[in-house]
Amino acid sequence: MTPSTILRRHALAALARERTIALVAALFAALVLVSAYLGWSATSTVDAIYASATHWFEANGKPVPSNPVTQGSPLALLRNLTIYISLIGAFSAIVIGYRMVETDRRAGVLPLIGARPLERLDYARGKVSALALAVGGLAALAGVVGAATLAILPSVHLGPGDWARLAAFFSLGWLYMMTFGLIAIGASARARSETVGLMVPTVVWLVLTFVWPALTGNILPTAAINPISALAPAPQSTIFDLSAMLLGPFSLAEAYKYLGAELMGYLPDGLPPRGAVPPLVVMMLFAAGSGLYALRGCLKLDMTKGGPDA
Amino acid sequence: MPDLSAIPTIALKDARIALRDRFLLAATLALVAAALISLITGTVAMRTDVATYMAAKQQLLALGKSLGSIAAPEFYPLKLMRGTIEQIEIMGAVIALIAGYRAAVEERGRQTLALILTRPLSNWQFLAAKLLGGAGLMATALAFVFALCAVVLALGSGIGIGANDLLRLAITWGASTLYLSAIFAVGFGLSLWLKSPASGLLYAFALWLLVVLVAPQIGDTMDPDNQVAGGVFAQLSIPKAEQTRIKQGFATYETIRNGIEVSSVTKHYERFTFAVLGIKDIYTGKALGPIWADKKGDAWFLILFTLGLGGLVLLRPIRADRLTKET
Amino acid sequence: MQTDTPAVSTRGLTLSYGDFTALQPLDLDIGRGEIFGFLGHNGAGKTTTIRLLTTLMEPSGGTASVAGCDLAHNRIALRRAIGYLPENVRLYDTLTTRENLRFFAALSRIEDARDRVEEVMEFLGITDLADRRIATFSKGMRQRVGLAQAIVHRPQVLFLDEPTSGLDPMGVRQLREVLERLNGQGMTIFMNTHLLSEVARSCSSIGVLSHGQLVFHDTIETVNARYGSEEALEELYLSVVPDREVAA
Repeated sequence: MTPSTILRRHALAALARERTIALVAALFAALVLVSAYLGWSATSTVDAIYASATHWFEANGKPVPSNPVTQGSPLALLRNLTIYISLIGAFSAIVIGYRMVETDRRAGVLPLIGARPLERLDYARGKVSALALAVGGLAALAGVVGAATLAILPSVHLGPGDWARLAAFFSLGWLYMMTFGLIAIGASARARSETVGLMVPTVVWLVLTFVWPALTGNILPTAAINPISALAPAPQSTIFDLSAMLLGPFSLAEAYKYLGAELMGYLPDGLPPRGAVPPLVVMMLFAAGSGLYALRGCLKLDMTKGGPDA
Repeated sequence: MPDLSAIPTIALKDARIALRDRFLLAATLALVAAALISLITGTVAMRTDVATYMAAKQQLLALGKSLGSIAAPEFYPLKLMRGTIEQIEIMGAVIALIAGYRAAVEERGRQTLALILTRPLSNWQFLAAKLLGGAGLMATALAFVFALCAVVLALGSGIGIGANDLLRLAITWGASTLYLSAIFAVGFGLSLWLKSPASGLLYAFALWLLVVLVAPQIGDTMDPDNQVAGGVFAQLSIPKAEQTRIKQGFATYETIRNGIEVSSVTKHYERFTFAVLGIKDIYTGKALGPIWADKKGDAWFLILFTLGLGGLVLLRPIRADRLTKET
Repeated sequence: MQTDTPAVSTRGLTLSYGDFTALQPLDLDIGRGEIFGFLGHNGAGKTTTIRLLTTLMEPSGGTASVAGCDLAHNRIALRRAIGYLPENVRLYDTLTTRENLRFFAALSRIEDARDRVEEVMEFLGITDLADRRIATFSKGMRQRVGLAQAIVHRPQVLFLDEPTSGLDPMGVRQLREVLERLNGQGMTIFMNTHLLSEVARSCSSIGVLSHGQLVFHDTIETVNARYGSEEALEELYLSVVPDREVAA
């Protein structure tokens, strides 16, 4: 067994025993279920409103417009998942990434690992691959709950293309969560204190989710928690055109929500992405950048520190 | 009459440390920045509306037509505070949680708690001092935010703001202080009670996600009008009277939706401040008297929630033996 | 407050967690003006005893008084009468020595806090550290500031938990001299320690705790008379303390 495999197995075993991780994962799973319910409930309500409105149109001899919820893809039922992955999913990934290095440091085992015949790169590989698997587990959990919901609902019929899009959506969610998990590994490896290791990735996540979109034209921060409002077009103004051009390529949360909406079929017609860089490229660049940050953090990790006072 | 001099002593010590603590300063600046970004982008968006209106007006006048066909945008400077309030709801809450965590970690596990608790003061006085110190900190940071917002509104809106607007901003500052003090108490309490302060912070974040984001999010998402871009009624072009009739058929659903929303203190804070500042259209331009009559329930919820949480932190005994161990 | 009562007096003082007894019923009297050395293996219950006597923990049973103040019914007065220096003391890093000391002096509600802080700094020879922040201090410097906060309010009984832990020989010597001067002013000192040599040199009486039970308590004169030398003290210690440690 290679050193990185041993480290990965050990990291995953330690994660599996942590109550905090179990709680965060349970919260995530519960909210995936909630999002499935919300999608179903809200769609049924709009259906019922439409039925009620149809009577009125017919009674008044007016033409009946088409039902707005049947216009989109059935996958759009799960649109809240985009939001929950960007909130709880990303936060869970931060907690997992943070614990990867912090657990070793707090236990005081870093000097013991550092004195073993292995390279820092092995340490980095072990931790990053453990994160990838753990976050993969979260994405798979969301995928299973989402797929089961769609399979159970009687009025929803998915074709092979839809299933493929759903799989692509969860892969995208995995990539998004991984980005924050990697930032957390890098930050906790570099941080001088336990708190800073948790705070740095959290602040990056908060800024990208709630502040950055305000700069590129999605003015209200609470738009970030509504899958539809998150896709509002920017006001027509030179300033917003300029800010979208300059800052859009760095707006990771918007890129993810845009791609998610595109895959799940609820992207408003004709809405352009923020900035000139395609959203998928934005996501890939962020993931690569955060991967490098995590790698650098692990390579430069001070193995002499450890214990509760570290 | 017990000697309460320990309370200001500890609160002032906390204030001194907070002033020297670069992290907290950075966090306050982050709140100011987030609030101002929202305010300034809101102002830009409003100016864009004004420019569009003026251009349309010029065009109509040039064509010799009446202005009745285009609606003039409303110019209420305080409406621009919406983004700022939302930033306080979200980012402000995070900063308050971290401040609470730091207030606990500052004493816990570093023996200063042992040094304080072997002094002639009751344990509740120590807790009260920490809570008051936190509330003072939040009040000061928010005072900066609101003072800057007032300046930006006066200069940027192009209309200026009057004494009544300032009063409304002051009321909002008070409500914001209460809201963030409650969140501070959560961060402080959990970081003090749980196995390690970092676990406390983590659980506080999880609670923040549920209370500040998820509960309002569920309520917001269950609103049928938010399920269709532009709103379901608008898309179906249903007249107002018919909308009301249809909505009556969904009273139970709406009650559940509202119930989920109001389980979150954030929503009460938002409803109260949106009314006071006239952000919600039905309160725009209304006097404070009728607004209070309408929204006093939200205000009382906010006050009692904050006092209740503070009381909970005060009443829970400190496990000094555990908290003074190195963690 | 009566001055004829012992500085520390316990009767059946106990602490249990479920089935585990951290401190067996403890009967102990320490006279005023004594320097009491409390010996014992790791996990014997020495720190627990100090935490009980300084009100940081609640006993499961028994009674105790410190400086004539009852532990159960007169906690605030008791806190007024004691000073406490925990092991590995850490103070507020971002505050200076003077600010830290003024803060703790104010909490102890002494009238002449400002003057007293200067006096204590001079007494301990740390006036040159007055305006420096604690974050930059070595272990020895922290320990001296820690001791300053413990005596700033002129306590009657001073509790020290492993005060020599981590100090170099010079630091140990300086601490001994300071404790002797404080004792000379009438202060009772209750000191947990591992260092038998320190006990032999500084203490007027000793107690040995093993697995939560007091197995020996007498004056140092008696010990010296009976055993004759410092090596003999080690022999005494080893004879009453088992050769294995227990989990703390």
